Amino acid sequence: MKIKAQISMVMNLDKCIGCHTCSITCKNTWTNREGAEYMYFNNVETKPGIGYPKHWEDQNRWKGGWILKDGKLQLATGSKGNRLMKLFFHPEQPELKDYFEPWTYDYETLIHSKRKNNQPVARPRSLITKEKMEIEWGPNWEDDLAGGNTARADVNLQKIGQNIALDFHDIFMKYLPRLCNHCLNPACVAACPSGAIYKRDEDGVVLISQDVCRGWRHCVPACPYKKIYYNWQTNKAEKCVFCYPRLENGLPQICADTCVGRMRYVGVLLYDMDKVEAVASTENPQEIYDNMLDVLLDPHDPAVAKAAKEQGIPDNWIKAAKESPVFRLIKEWQIALPLHAEYRTVPMVWYVPPMSPILHKDAASVHFPEAEAMRIPVAYLAQIFSAGNEDVIRRVLNTLLDLRRYMQQRTRGEATTEFDTKYGEHTLYDMYRLLGIAKYRDRYRIPAGVNATQEEKRLHQGVGGFSDCAFGGCSGSAPSASGCNGCAGGGHE
Amino acid sequence: MSEFVWVALPYLAFTFLVFGSAVRYTVSERTWTTKSSEFLEKKQLRIAGPLFHFALLLVFLGHVGGILVPQEVTEMFGIDEHLYHMGALYIGGVAGILLVVGFLLLMKRRFTSVYMKVNTSSMDVWLFLFLGLTILTGFAGTMLNADGAFNYREYIGPWFRSLLIMQPKPELMLNIPMMFKVHMFSWMAVCFIFPFSRLVHCLSFPFLYLWRSAIVYRRR
Repeated sequence: MKIKAQISMVMNLDKCIGCHTCSITCKNTWTNREGAEYMYFNNVETKPGIGYPKHWEDQNRWKGGWILKDGKLQLATGSKGNRLMKLFFHPEQPELKDYFEPWTYDYETLIHSKRKNNQPVARPRSLITKEKMEIEWGPNWEDDLAGGNTARADVNLQKIGQNIALDFHDIFMKYLPRLCNHCLNPACVAACPSGAIYKRDEDGVVLISQDVCRGWRHCVPACPYKKIYYNWQTNKAEKCVFCYPRLENGLPQICADTCVGRMRYVGVLLYDMDKVEAVASTENPQEIYDNMLDVLLDPHDPAVAKAAKEQGIPDNWIKAAKESPVFRLIKEWQIALPLHAEYRTVPMVWYVPPMSPILHKDAASVHFPEAEAMRIPVAYLAQIFSAGNEDVIRRVLNTLLDLRRYMQQRTRGEATTEFDTKYGEHTLYDMYRLLGIAKYRDRYRIPAGVNATQEEKRLHQGVGGFSDCAFGGCSGSAPSASGCNGCAGGGHE
Repeated sequence: MSEFVWVALPYLAFTFLVFGSAVRYTVSERTWTTKSSEFLEKKQLRIAGPLFHFALLLVFLGHVGGILVPQEVTEMFGIDEHLYHMGALYIGGVAGILLVVGFLLLMKRRFTSVYMKVNTSSMDVWLFLFLGLTILTGFAGTMLNADGAFNYREYIGPWFRSLLIMQPKPELMLNIPMMFKVHMFSWMAVCFIFPFSRLVHCLSFPFLYLWRSAIVYRRR
C-alpha cells in the first residue's frame, strides 16, 4: 500500500444555476493574456450539447484517454513509437475553429465615427488576426439549449438512441461545469514526449513545466476532456493549475470560492497508488467507478492513518482527510460520480448528478417524483457519469429524493418514515447540512502550508533562507522521489 | 581571405551553433519550443509538415554518409566512386525533390494564410530565407553535378572533416563550383541564427520518451 494525498473537487450539479461566475473568475485570474484568449480552464456547458471544444466527448474522433489493448492500458492516440511519428502533424489535434475564434469589438468607431444618418456599429474583430470577422461560434454557444440542432449531435444522446424526448414540453437540460480533473492516471502526462507534465507528489495537482514544454502538443489530443490548451503566442501548452498558489495557502480554487450556487466542495482524499493502474485497466468500463472507490482509502481507519503517517503524509493532511467533505460525498455516501470514467484516466473531480422537474406527461400522476419520472433521462445521465450503468444513477437520485422526503417530513413535524436506502436519519441530516446549507467552512477543508512532517520541518530548520528552495529541494536530506514506484522522478527542478 | 572564409567563418558558425544553443538553453529555456502552428492552420500542414520533416531527416542522413564517411572507407566496402555517385544522385535526388516540395508547400502555407501571419516573426523570415537557400542550392548543386564531374568527396568532405579534427585545410575549397560555395555560406548562416530561432527544436527530439514510464510524479 503506497498512500498518496490528492486534492479533489466535487460539484453538486443539482445546485448549478449555469451563471458562469466560475468561468469568468477563472478567466480573469489565469487566461486573460495574449495567446490564451480562447482558453477556458473552467467552462460551463449546457447538456445536451456538443460542448467546448466541439464534440469533445466523441472519442472516435479525438482519440482521447486510454484504451485497453490485450488487457493492457494504451493511449487511444497510439503506442509511443506510433505517436512519435505524429510529431510533425497530429491528425487528432483540435485547432482554433474547434474551440472558437476569440473576438473583440471595434469600440473606437463608436467614438470616432463621423456624423452619419445611421448610428455607427462596433463590428467584431478577431483577437487572433485583428481582421474583421463574422461570429459563428463561441465558448458557450449552446447556452440554455440555444439552437437545438447541435444538442441533437451530443454523443451521449446518440448512444442511448434517438427515442429520447426532445418534445418541446419535455425537453430537458442540465449544466456541466468542467475543469481539469487532475486524474490519477492522467493521459496528458503519459503523452508528453518531453516529460514536461507531472503530477505533484504532495497534492496530486497536474502541472505543465513551462520551461520543459517543447510544444510537441501531444497532450492536447491525449486528454479526453480536452482540458489542455495550446498557447499560440508562447507556443507551449497550458492547463488548469487547480489554483495551486491558493491551495498552498489553504484557500479553495477561485472557481470554487466564487461559486454563487455554493455547489463546489474541495478536500483531501487518500488513495492507494499501487492500485491505480489496475483500476484504470478494469475490463468492464461500468465497473471502473466501483473500483475507483476501492482505491480511495478511509482515513478514519487507524491502520490507514498510521500507514499514511509512516509514509510521510503530514499530520495536518491526515486531519484534513478525516474532515474532508469530498470524502463523505464520494466514498461515505457514494452520491458523487466521476465524469466519463470509461476514459480510464481515473478523474478526481466528481459530480453529484442533478435532479430535474417531473416529465410533463407524468405530471398529473406523480405526487413525489421518482428517478424515472424526472425530465433528464436516467440513461442520459448514465452515459455521462457511470459509463452507461443506469443502476448507479438511479441509486444516487433515489438517495437525493430520500433526503428531500426526509427533510419535508421533518420540517412539517411529521413522523419520518423508513427509507429504502442504507442511510439513516442521522446521515440524511448530515447530507442536508452539507448539500443544502453548504457553509463555506464545511465545503472546503484544505490543509495550508508546506506539505512536510514535523520531523522534516525540524530537520530543515535553519538550513535554507528565503532565496533557497524549500523542503526537499536543496539539502537533499529529505526523502526524494522515493515515494513513487515505477515512475520517473522528472530530472528537471 | 580564404583563411577567413573557409576556416574562421565555419568555426564561428559552429561556435554560435553550440555555445549559442547552450546559452539559450540555460538562460531562456522557457522560449525553447517547436513553435508548432498546427493549432492555427491544420489543413495544409497535413501533407507539408511530415513531408518536409521526414525528407529533411533523409537528407541529413545522406549528408552524414557523404561528408563524414571518407571515400576510402566506402571503397574498402567495395563501393567505387561511380556506384556511390549513382546512389547519392538517385536516393539523394528523390529525397531532395521531397524536401524542396515540402519546403515550398510550407512556405505557401506560411505566407498565404492570415492565421499564419500572427505566428511569423522576423527571425522566422530570416530562417526561411537561409534555410530555403541552403535547400535550393544543395538540390541545384546535386542536379547540376549529375554527371559527377565534381567529386565533392575529394574536396568538401575532407575539408569538413579537417575542420572537425582542428587541422583545417582551406585550400581544398578554393576551386569548388559556385553552387556549392553558396550552399556552404548559406548553411553557415543557418548555423549563425540557429540558437536565436525556432530551429533549436531539432535538438529536442524526444528519444528518451521511448524509455520513460507513463506517469511522472515530481516532488518539489
